[in-house]
Amino acid sequence: MPENERIPAPLIVGALKAAFRGQRTAPPKDGEPLGWVLSVPDTHQRSVIAELEGDDELRLLTCSTEDEANAIAAGLYIGGAEVALMIQHAGLYASVNTLRGVGLDGGVPLFALVGLLSREPELEPEDSPRSMVRFAGPLMDTFEVPHALLETRDDLGLIAEYYALSRERSGPAVVFVGRETA
Amino acid sequence: MRPEDALRAINEARGDALVVPTMTAVPEWRTIAPEAPSVACVGFMGGASSLGLGLALAQPERRVIVLDGDGSLLMQLGSLATVAGAAPANYTHVLFANGVYQTSGSQGIPASGSVDFAGMAEAAGYAFTTRIDTLEELRIRLPELLSIRGPVLVELAVEEAELTPMTAPGGDPLRVQVQQLRERLAGEG
Repeated sequence: MPENERIPAPLIVGALKAAFRGQRTAPPKDGEPLGWVLSVPDTHQRSVIAELEGDDELRLLTCSTEDEANAIAAGLYIGGAEVALMIQHAGLYASVNTLRGVGLDGGVPLFALVGLLSREPELEPEDSPRSMVRFAGPLMDTFEVPHALLETRDDLGLIAEYYALSRERSGPAVVFVGRETA
Repeated sequence: MRPEDALRAINEARGDALVVPTMTAVPEWRTIAPEAPSVACVGFMGGASSLGLGLALAQPERRVIVLDGDGSLLMQLGSLATVAGAAPANYTHVLFANGVYQTSGSQGIPASGSVDFAGMAEAAGYAFTTRIDTLEELRIRLPELLSIRGPVLVELAVEEAELTPMTAPGGDPLRVQVQQLRERLAGEG
């Protein structure tokens, strides 16, 4: 894939900050982060994770499982914090009961950037021969979770849009990251 | 130790702590502490330690008490490392260790009776861990366990509970609990 087609990590971090700022009713207090990013490391988004490790405004927390990430996000939300998840499609499958319990039954606005590792750029995800890629969108459809595909710089607005959507509907919203970030 | 007595002791000592009960602790806690700032982990077994961690990180000035079960913790055992890594100083993880999955019929948990949960938490990196076998000792030590620098894990050797979420269903739906506690904390902030 040409390097210029990959989204630079700082742009995604900037988009996350804009999404958080768009929902905050007050600036962070002393020592309080602008928002939290809960990660179970994802190959597609590894450059973003590296970028977050050195960021002063966002707090990155690595979790052992995506189930944990969903539940931690619930606690942060209840406590008044802004939070996003960065996980891989395999983790989405692994944590679907927590997504259901926390996001649907609990009404917690879970927002997740989900890497579609091994997605073939010449194919639509639903046409992928890889089940991990092909079923990710339909799985979200089954749970009535809105989702979109982030692939180019022109798609960066999806992050704030879907973050706000998760808050508006008090439930999950997912942005799939279709290409590895730069 | 009867878990009901342990919950009453915790309620008497909790101050303004936020509380996350799960499984057999849920119905009794609802009765004992109806006004406590609580949100129950129901519908995603194993999530209490993580739900409490999120609360502790968002509300660093408030103590957070997680009322966990041994079978529940085993479902998300990696959370011990996640909690230790996040190192919330305001986090007290109380583990009700009865050795069984009581809600589903009291089947034994894996390696029931031999798993050292306090030892595992210590190995994961919790700031302080201990095991308590009697109500008397729990009452004496609770003020310290709810004030020292966390994360703290307290393994309680308990009998089976009188009630379970299956025999005593009820309480507000999770969605209502989430919004009520969020609004309460926003109002107090």
